[in-house]
Amino acid sequence: MKIPQTALHQLYSLLGKENVLTDEASLLIHAYDCSLSRTRPDLLLNLQCEEHIAPVLQILYTHKIPFVPRASATNHAGSCAALNGGAIINLTGLNRILQINTREQTAWVQAGVITADLQNALNKLGFFYAPDPASERVCTLGGNLAQNASGARCMKYGGTPDHVLEACAVLPDGTPLHLARNGGGPDFIGLLAGSEGTLGIITRMKVKILPLAKHIKTFLATFPSLADSVQTVTDLTARGIIPRCVEAMDQTTLQTVEDFSHAGYPTDAQALLILELDGTPSQIAQEAKELEEVCRLNHAHCFQPAKTPAERQKLWLGRRAAYAAIARLAPNVMVGDGTVPRSNLPLALEKVYRILQERGVHASLLFHAGDGNFHPHFIFDERNKPDVLRVKKALQEVLRACVDCGGTISGEHGIGVEKRAEMAYQYDLPTLDLFARIKRAADPLNLANPLKILPVSYAEKARPQITPDKTVAELAEAVRTRRQTRTPVIVTGNNTRLKTHTRQMLSTRALDKILDIDLTNYTVTVQAGVTLKKLWSELKKHHVYCALPEETGTAGGAFSCGAYPDFYAHVLGIEAVTPDGSVVRYGGKFMKNSAGYHVTRLFAGARGTLGIITQLTFKIFAKPVPPAAKKSAAAEPNALWRALKNELDPDGLFPAVPEDKNG
Amino acid sequence: MVDFYFSNPHKLLRALHTELGERAVYDSVAHCTRCGCCQQACPSLLIKKQETFSPRGRNQMIRLLMEGKLNTRAHRLLLEEVINSCTLCGRCIQACAGKIPTAEHILELRRRLNLRALPAPLHRLLALRTSSPVWFSRLVRAALLARRTGIVKLLRLTGITRMKGLSWINRADDLLPAQTPELKKYLLNQKLSLESHNPTLVYLPSMEAEFLMPRLAADVLKTAAKKHRTLVWRNQSSGLFEYVYGDLRKSRLAVRRLIRRHEQTGNLPLLTDSADVFIFLRRAAQLFSGNKRWEEKARCFSRRVLFATDIMPQKSSVPDIKIPVRLDYSALFCREGEPFERAQKILKTLFKKNFVECLYTDADTPAFGYGFVRRNLAQETALQTVRSIAQTQAATVFTLSGLSALELNYWLKRFYPAAQADHVISLHG
Repeated sequence: MKIPQTALHQLYSLLGKENVLTDEASLLIHAYDCSLSRTRPDLLLNLQCEEHIAPVLQILYTHKIPFVPRASATNHAGSCAALNGGAIINLTGLNRILQINTREQTAWVQAGVITADLQNALNKLGFFYAPDPASERVCTLGGNLAQNASGARCMKYGGTPDHVLEACAVLPDGTPLHLARNGGGPDFIGLLAGSEGTLGIITRMKVKILPLAKHIKTFLATFPSLADSVQTVTDLTARGIIPRCVEAMDQTTLQTVEDFSHAGYPTDAQALLILELDGTPSQIAQEAKELEEVCRLNHAHCFQPAKTPAERQKLWLGRRAAYAAIARLAPNVMVGDGTVPRSNLPLALEKVYRILQERGVHASLLFHAGDGNFHPHFIFDERNKPDVLRVKKALQEVLRACVDCGGTISGEHGIGVEKRAEMAYQYDLPTLDLFARIKRAADPLNLANPLKILPVSYAEKARPQITPDKTVAELAEAVRTRRQTRTPVIVTGNNTRLKTHTRQMLSTRALDKILDIDLTNYTVTVQAGVTLKKLWSELKKHHVYCALPEETGTAGGAFSCGAYPDFYAHVLGIEAVTPDGSVVRYGGKFMKNSAGYHVTRLFAGARGTLGIITQLTFKIFAKPVPPAAKKSAAAEPNALWRALKNELDPDGLFPAVPEDKNG
Repeated sequence: MVDFYFSNPHKLLRALHTELGERAVYDSVAHCTRCGCCQQACPSLLIKKQETFSPRGRNQMIRLLMEGKLNTRAHRLLLEEVINSCTLCGRCIQACAGKIPTAEHILELRRRLNLRALPAPLHRLLALRTSSPVWFSRLVRAALLARRTGIVKLLRLTGITRMKGLSWINRADDLLPAQTPELKKYLLNQKLSLESHNPTLVYLPSMEAEFLMPRLAADVLKTAAKKHRTLVWRNQSSGLFEYVYGDLRKSRLAVRRLIRRHEQTGNLPLLTDSADVFIFLRRAAQLFSGNKRWEEKARCFSRRVLFATDIMPQKSSVPDIKIPVRLDYSALFCREGEPFERAQKILKTLFKKNFVECLYTDADTPAFGYGFVRRNLAQETALQTVRSIAQTQAATVFTLSGLSALELNYWLKRFYPAAQADHVISLHG
């Protein structure tokens, strides 16, 4: 597209001519990221301060110029390719750590701060930032949130969105937003996670920091089969042991890595686990004993603890060098990112091997065994077109195999353009429609990173919808009827919070079934109307625990009222009825999901303004966990919530978004 | 696809000898998966904060040029800036999973565009060392004499050296040590000789050791004297200057001369005091790719090349040195391998806990004339180094080449006088 001269002049006067570039070379150098996608933008804007973002977006909005935020561009999904042309907004200049508050255990950072720079700054103070993507030396914190990145420590500490407490963002029309998880409303930070810059630009974040673990013990274990290694992780979870990291490799990868790094891994094993425990010395000693016992029970050939820091370094050496070892084999490496429920990991891997064999493609498998997240590293030469097509086809089949195994096409890398076609394989039409409407609400002109995440035309390709439960279908029908008759809807659960007796009330009390307590994946699936007391009595029967408090009210109500923001990170899947009466489903029993907008976080704390939650899947634990702290903050309205409300409920039948006190 | 080599086979390299084997420049460039691991290692990216000035950006730019998607004429100015902003430090190669030699790619592009990075008079002067060593020697001596007698100072006062094309004189004057005695006299004073009977080692002094820092040459000779009878090859160019700044044909010529002379001396081990020269000569076979005879000869020759640390004993006679020290990794194209590992080992043995390990984020001094190419960038890069030296409170920084020591001392004197830089060989000199 041609950039209008007026827009250029406005940008020149705002950013200076040296920061507004239109020469071919600069544009082509910003046409790619770590994926195969390569699209030439029409304009490059180098931003040096975050105050410029809002006016820049206003100018782009006025002239209807699409834009793509870009920092280190290390994503594997093609999220930084400017598919519609337009502007690339380079955010690497926003690289200041603004504040580190060790007393509150938080840090304010700009979006372009390199993750490792923050780690280094924190390490000096005896703290650390838990998310550790493999590219932490290069990737930025803003990028991590936008791509919903996590890392090896995710199993114990959670992914990036769980560590961002507040964020400042700018909507595509230039409206600045301040978002806080404890702010009372929907968890918009969670919604921005994995949005890949399609909802706006993240400018700064307040992240949670943790004291450095003083005692860490690392172990290496090898197994005769992948299934045994996965079973080990499941058994550990069942005993309430959550390792700091559980990294795994298959035999092919093991051989490649050992040839390159000489880390001393036994190459005859079919699977290798690197496990790390942290805590007090006595706790580690106890857990290490149990760990060895579990490994031996699962036929571990070798169980080797690192006795010295040097030995620990050596154990990690191979794992850290894995990408390097694989990258040497061919000019290009395409990294897949499937996630399945942990129990289905052996089945998924079996399917993956079959696909690789059938397609004649070479790939090494690395996985975060604790999360059921695996990364096939396909090697090829992008100059060889048939090779590329074969690899792309194999990747597509691998992703579909993940969905068939009850998983997702992306656990932590995002969708971008590379995997967007497979979104239709994973989600049904109402859910894809919901994604489209979330995007439309935040970005009505489709300017922010257009053509990403959603398949171009999905109406016919979308996965057929599963017939909802009878009670849910009745609730959806009731919503549709009220929409036709324009009758307002007040959603209640056990009516503990609203204590209303209005005829407009639509209760989820009939949705009172506990659908599944999965003691392999350690998840529970409940209907929204299940009371917390009933949930707890059922969990106690199975000797498991959850982070919801044992109080009055329903599970749906506790999640929707915004009183337990710490619980949001535990929710893995959701089913909900939107104000148009459609039933949408997102997530499941898998621990990570980067495919599509985080619908769970949209409904979290939304107080029934955006629809009715009918079902939740969340984590349970073998040992008691502290219940989520109750926060009683009044919901803070913001432009994004209002825009979402207008888009999803244009007739305003569901409760209104709270008024802005500042007008 | 246009491989640069075919446009001018004499002036360009046929293939690069990479860690993953011999490969054409295009293949080497195409090996970049754009993962970005190199990005934060690049000093120029840390300063400019733009992809265009990053190793990944540079590789992609070369690839686009080779694939005909970018035109060298239309983007000449930007290309010049992209090439000349690269410090050729090799930190990106260290960070790269595939060990892609980005610095070598940049040099190929520089040769393809016939770019002259240094100011013309300085370039001509330094080029004389290969083409006419006698004249080079005379001119340098004359210049040093002019400096000793205060003529340079006078010129600076009059402002003549601020004129375009002459400003490098100011910088050279700033960098050079106050005393630059003549090598022969200096060695005589130290009771060292340039020649010996039945030599067991040939010493190829770098330009700085021969003309600017005779103490460096003396330290090398003193250290070597413990085990060897050393023959010094005076005014012998290694061809490195031509390889980096000049014409590849002349570089090949210089290396051929060196190999012939080396053969005449009976293939004795050849010692150098500069890590830059060592790394260059170790890869000499790359220059003759395609010419089997010379490639083989160069391979044999490069196996005989030694770096100063190879003659240093690991255990020191100097007891109880309790000052914090660190190693400056600045060298051309490379940041890992023999000289670095050995130097690190020596320093660790000597200084034990007082040896300060460098982080991957610690920049190196931009050496080998980079300060004459892009002075502003050199200053900012050097400041990154000085900042990290100050943070670790290192009192002495050991370098692997005399030029790095000169450059770093200049910046330390200005910004952190508590520390000083010295060549690692000075430990045993």
